[in-house]
Amino acid sequence: MNGKQLLLKALKERKVRFLFGYTGGAIMPVFDEMERMGAFEFVMARHEQGAAFMAQGLSRASLSTPTPQIGVCLTTSGPGAMNLVTGVADAHMDSVPMLAITGQVATGVIATDAFQESDVVGVMMPICKQTYMPLAAEDVEKTVHEACYVATTGRGGPVIIDLPKDIQNQQAGEDYRFDAKKFRPHLPGYFYTPTPEREPIRQAIELINKSERPLIFCGHGVINSNAGDLLQRFIEKTNIPVASTFHGLSAIPADHPQHLGMMGMHGTVEANRAIMEADLLIALGMRFDDRVTGKLDEYARNAAVIHVEIDASEIDKNVRTTVAINADVYRTLHVLLGDPMLTCIPRRRWWDKLNSFREVMKEDLREEIEVGIGNDNKLLMKGIIHRLSEVTRGRDLIIPDVGQHQMMCARFYNYQTNNSWFGSGGAGTMGCSLPMAIGVKLARPKERVWSISGDGGFQMNFQELGTIMEKQIDVKIIILNNGYLGMVRQWQTFFFDGCFAGTPMQSPDFGLISQAYGIPYRKVELLEDVVPALEEAIACKGAMVLEFICDPAEVILPMIPAGGGFGDMIIRHPHAPKKDQSKQGEAA
Amino acid sequence: MKRRAILAFTLDHPGVLNKISMLIRKKMYNVDTLTVCRARIPGVSRMTITLRESDQARVDQVVRQLEKFTEVISVKELDTDHSYWREVAIIKLEIDASVLETFQGRYNFEILEQKSDDIHILQVAGSTRRIDAFLDEVGQEHIVEIARTGVTAMEK
Repeated sequence: MNGKQLLLKALKERKVRFLFGYTGGAIMPVFDEMERMGAFEFVMARHEQGAAFMAQGLSRASLSTPTPQIGVCLTTSGPGAMNLVTGVADAHMDSVPMLAITGQVATGVIATDAFQESDVVGVMMPICKQTYMPLAAEDVEKTVHEACYVATTGRGGPVIIDLPKDIQNQQAGEDYRFDAKKFRPHLPGYFYTPTPEREPIRQAIELINKSERPLIFCGHGVINSNAGDLLQRFIEKTNIPVASTFHGLSAIPADHPQHLGMMGMHGTVEANRAIMEADLLIALGMRFDDRVTGKLDEYARNAAVIHVEIDASEIDKNVRTTVAINADVYRTLHVLLGDPMLTCIPRRRWWDKLNSFREVMKEDLREEIEVGIGNDNKLLMKGIIHRLSEVTRGRDLIIPDVGQHQMMCARFYNYQTNNSWFGSGGAGTMGCSLPMAIGVKLARPKERVWSISGDGGFQMNFQELGTIMEKQIDVKIIILNNGYLGMVRQWQTFFFDGCFAGTPMQSPDFGLISQAYGIPYRKVELLEDVVPALEEAIACKGAMVLEFICDPAEVILPMIPAGGGFGDMIIRHPHAPKKDQSKQGEAA
Repeated sequence: MKRRAILAFTLDHPGVLNKISMLIRKKMYNVDTLTVCRARIPGVSRMTITLRESDQARVDQVVRQLEKFTEVISVKELDTDHSYWREVAIIKLEIDASVLETFQGRYNFEILEQKSDDIHILQVAGSTRRIDAFLDEVGQEHIVEIARTGVTAMEK
């Protein structure tokens, strides 16, 4: 067998079904072999970045199914590989297992600036979990298995295999043998410790039992270790409130009475105030990102911290821990739940306080959502997301893009399904939604998938409508069009004196674009049309685009200014924009 | 700024040095010295990195993040009191042989070559401070060229 056959054989053995990618000179042999084998479903992205996000979507959505799959993208060398960079960096930030296979120029011309050559290993090294460049056909199979192992174990992450064209065609020696079942990667420097140690567990239980104002953080690790159900049992058993990180959303039902919602920069008042007042934080699978903590010196000053995290390098990175549990969240919760020392305390005073925090913005938000319209009778995003949540009963899969609408989706959709929320968190990559939704739909074909973007983010990757058209992928697409880059506009409103630099945006006719791709489209401008339009999209067989014309002046509150502490939380709109330099943008 | 030495055992693979130096750059340090050699175990490299940092927590972070690399087998910070830090310098000096002799008892050096009456190439081994002291005493004006290996270190 030759390199390309060994590559595809190994992928098959790893139960890979879908390959997302784009062909080109240096990967043609692999594509040729793939076509002849007929063993994979190839999904052609319209840009390699799209392929990377599709792979991410597949990995993330399938991990809670009985058959988790690793998202694999396949691209050519040079520009093909470089176009993957953003998607790979995004997966790295969000700990998403993914395999990117890039063709490379032949070994004889590597480092001669050959046509479509770029130093993929050099570029990818700091933004992925591991890179490989097999230099013999005999190494290919082993590399794929090792790459998948590294990508999917411990804290997940993207892995790159840069495969020179001559190795793709090279014959393995006659005595070459490889047994995937017996293969164990030789990685003496790769450790992860899924099972918690006894001593920190004992200390953690002691802290939990004696705490008066404990608070649990539900991070991405809860989703990644499929520990949502366990976490729900744990909070119910201990009567401790829980706040979610951006990536922790959907691990437990959003309306669970003990759930305080999302924490951090655009988190709920109750979650953030609870952090300020807590005497114990139990952080499960999270990394205390700056969007979560705000100013570190002011962060949770009165609290002891129990940090459960599979990646040892995250412990004590931003926040000093009292008890560190370097382990998998699922196993840790399992051990904690089984320990009879763990007690349940009513903590009435703490709950009274939390309930009073819940009241702070409740009325304002309820009113805004009910009214549903802002300036010039334009729609409010929060109202639309709330109605979407009601129409779908919170059960659908939501893939937001990045920006203001993303925070609206995080806050106002009532997540009921485990692992139903897939966004770009750490990297904050605009344009991720549409391609990621394609991957999510392929992983969970029976569930309804909503790609929700702003007008800005949608235009960053809307070429992937081509993939949706070609593969007839049933993704419901929502564009919340406010004629601006909304999140930046909000910052400009609050912190830049309302000077809207580079945020007004003229968009094309999304109706004509949808028509060009043969996808049904509806534009919604009136509140009373919102629900019927959503219902129409649900009833529609296959993809549909809904464009909502939104009020650009809408803001997402509360907000903690970047670098500020929780005490700086903005709860009410401080001032209306002083000047609006771009009537043109609003008219668009 | 406190001088720190980090000892790492890594797989002897291409790109490992790149990965490690990239992390140190990302953490915004300038590497003071970096030495790599083969370890006793075949296929394993031994690396000693020195850099300057006063904040212990930040150094611990670097160590933890190095540890995370799949190619890094083990890594730790070496503390000055419980380890030997040594380097070697090769120095070309323009100096009278008689003057050089006066240093002989006090500094551990070996004359590799005497090129002429006053041009000597010698090798000095010892701690960074010791080599610095030797150079100071000889006087910068006598030094034609100098090559130093950078620190390699071992625990006591």
